[in-house]
Amino acid sequence: MIDGMASSRTAAVLHCDLDAFYASVEQQKRPELRGKPIAVGGGVVLAASYEARAFGVRSAMPVGRARRMCPSLIVVDGSFSDYLDISDRIFDICRDFTPLVEQISIDEAFLDVSGATHLFGEPGTIGAEIRHRVRDETGLAISIGVASTKFLAKVGSQVAKPDGMIVVDPATEIEFLHALPTRLIWGVGPVTERKLAEMGITTIGQLAATERNVISKRMGRGAGGHLHALAWNKDPRRVRREHRAGSVGAQRAFGGDHRDPEFHRQVIFGLADRIGSRLRKKDRAGRTVSVRVRFSDQQVVSRATTLVAPVATTAAIAQIAEHLVAVAITEAAEGRGLSLIGISISKLVVSPHLQLELPLETDGAGGITRAGSLHDLERTALDAAVDQLRDRFGKETVAKASSMLRGTRGVPDEFGDLAIPVSER
Amino acid sequence: MRIRAERDDLADVLARAGRAVGTRSPLPILQGVLCEVEGSRLRVTGTDTDITIRTTLEVEALEDGRTVIPAKLAAEAVRKLPAGAVSMTAADGEVEITGNGPRFRLRELNVDDFPKLPEGSEGVSLSVDGASFTSALSQVGVAASGDEARPTLTGVLFEGEGDTMRLVATDSYRLAVRDMPDIAGTEPTLVPFRALRELGRALGEGAMDVVLGDRDANFATDRGSLSVRIIEANFPNYRQLLPESYPNRLVVSKTSLLDAVGRASLVAEDHIPVRLNLHDGGIELSVTRQEVGEETEHIEAEYQGEELTIAFNTRYLTDGVSAVASDEIVLETSDPLKPGLISGVNDEAFRYLLMPVRL
Repeated sequence: MIDGMASSRTAAVLHCDLDAFYASVEQQKRPELRGKPIAVGGGVVLAASYEARAFGVRSAMPVGRARRMCPSLIVVDGSFSDYLDISDRIFDICRDFTPLVEQISIDEAFLDVSGATHLFGEPGTIGAEIRHRVRDETGLAISIGVASTKFLAKVGSQVAKPDGMIVVDPATEIEFLHALPTRLIWGVGPVTERKLAEMGITTIGQLAATERNVISKRMGRGAGGHLHALAWNKDPRRVRREHRAGSVGAQRAFGGDHRDPEFHRQVIFGLADRIGSRLRKKDRAGRTVSVRVRFSDQQVVSRATTLVAPVATTAAIAQIAEHLVAVAITEAAEGRGLSLIGISISKLVVSPHLQLELPLETDGAGGITRAGSLHDLERTALDAAVDQLRDRFGKETVAKASSMLRGTRGVPDEFGDLAIPVSER
Repeated sequence: MRIRAERDDLADVLARAGRAVGTRSPLPILQGVLCEVEGSRLRVTGTDTDITIRTTLEVEALEDGRTVIPAKLAAEAVRKLPAGAVSMTAADGEVEITGNGPRFRLRELNVDDFPKLPEGSEGVSLSVDGASFTSALSQVGVAASGDEARPTLTGVLFEGEGDTMRLVATDSYRLAVRDMPDIAGTEPTLVPFRALRELGRALGEGAMDVVLGDRDANFATDRGSLSVRIIEANFPNYRQLLPESYPNRLVVSKTSLLDAVGRASLVAEDHIPVRLNLHDGGIELSVTRQEVGEETEHIEAEYQGEELTIAFNTRYLTDGVSAVASDEIVLETSDPLKPGLISGVNDEAFRYLLMPVRL
């Protein structure tokens, strides 16, 4: 891991945040959509253009409701692979200026440019150049905050939006910060904002002026101390260049309170299918399978298992994940249903050597999870055929019968990936 | 219960029976060994309920009786006493172990809690030479699985093949077969290798009676007995895996192959296989590990067949070659993705079938 060397008193951390990313990409691709209120999504709005936001349309809102708020709303299907490609191109532009790029989602990254100023000029100059090149090369708007810490840079980019840049001078950063509302603090959602408001705190300055103990009493010691520190721009986190992907994961939030094992199975299979095909595309296999489930009351539980030999077939990942989800439910559900399932596979190896098994035909489906077994070889061949068909004829060409017959179109599964840190995608 | 015995004899019967005692048994009573004195005979029983080992010793019995004492502690306590006579007395919930000065007083376990175990079992009875039997078991045992999730593969199959006894084990990556022509065969019986591994140390290598029953297998020598619950499952059909003949045949010195694979193993951690290029002039052995480096060498060997490159896991290959009794081994192959067969020159009794690694 390479850490940024930014001294806390120079403003050399950039937070770059693409504006209404999916919607903007769609508007770039289809000029007839430009200037119009559009939403990307299926059953739920995944992203809304600024024109749609003006009507109150927000992401995560059911499409029906969004249409009522904005009758002229144009809803378009997303194309996730396009977004990934464009995102890669944009953050590659950032890497032309500094190797210290920490991408935290498909449309956001932190940069530490403290070592780049002698080549490219002041951080603000670098930010302006990045904005210019992104606009030039992709047609998209990216907002940038430049500050002495990651926290303040992120606050800056939020203030700069849309299509703007703010350089926060360290000499006056506290004044700048204290004038802002608490909801701009990373991690302060509506609930925390309301709790703070009930204490009479609406600006970051008021938060900073309140005794830490008082906040901790209301918010809990950890959260209270954290908020108080941020209110004084105390954020020791450095920009870290991400490792090569050490895991591949996907998750799907379906909301509500789902208890039907058949439904869980379908979600798990869909996730396993995506993870498997990404692993195989990268010529990787992994030994540790982890699942994360969220219960209907937001509690999250994880379970993991490590195999003797790395696997990459959809069937193996699905079978292990299904078992782990069942374990999590048995051990922790206490009657609650699920609202999210996530799967990730780690301990990855590149083009693994495969110790083959003797064709003994000893076991039923159990062999699927053992790399090199007859079942595994069959599944590997099947996956290779499916991968090839999809490469040639498109993603929707082949799917497991049960998932095709389901026929309901909600949020495309692949968007679940967006909730996962980039390094794990 | 009150006895006197020689330190070394007593330590020996306690330790051997204690080999059946699991180190992490959920039941405290199973951490103990049962000591029973009747007439002049001490019988010690250790069990994890699947495997039971009984040892006996002629002692000077001053008072008959039964007690359960902590297996490991009691055996070690006796062993560490000064040489000579040791006396062991159980009374009032304590066991006193003394000899030439030192005195242990150990808390007794409740003798009534000790599990009731079957005494011997009915079945086909065989007489075998302990030394050759345990060595045959260790030859096939390398191929037995340690994976409790696949219990069938943790056993050694005993079965009749013509008028010989055949032992077979597989962990699904390799399969070892050992024929013992001097012993009559039996109905197929699957015995956990975990128990068979203990036979030599628990019972010595003298003449051994083997009884294979419906539920248990029993092994007895003049030094004691071991019984184990058999695995009630069908062993996979392995016969189809052993073809009559192979197109390619290599003959190589056992030590030169073992030495070469040993050198390759230095580089080949983490399941990286060793590649064997087999050709008229012998073997070109190589191993490459991306971040570390490589090792290559030529091994003199006789080869008949098509030139072929096949890769094996170094540990599995070493296990199989080491298990061969002869000085020269035969490696027969047909295809880089099909199992190779390892045996000894002029030795049909032991065969080791090894699945390759796909590169």
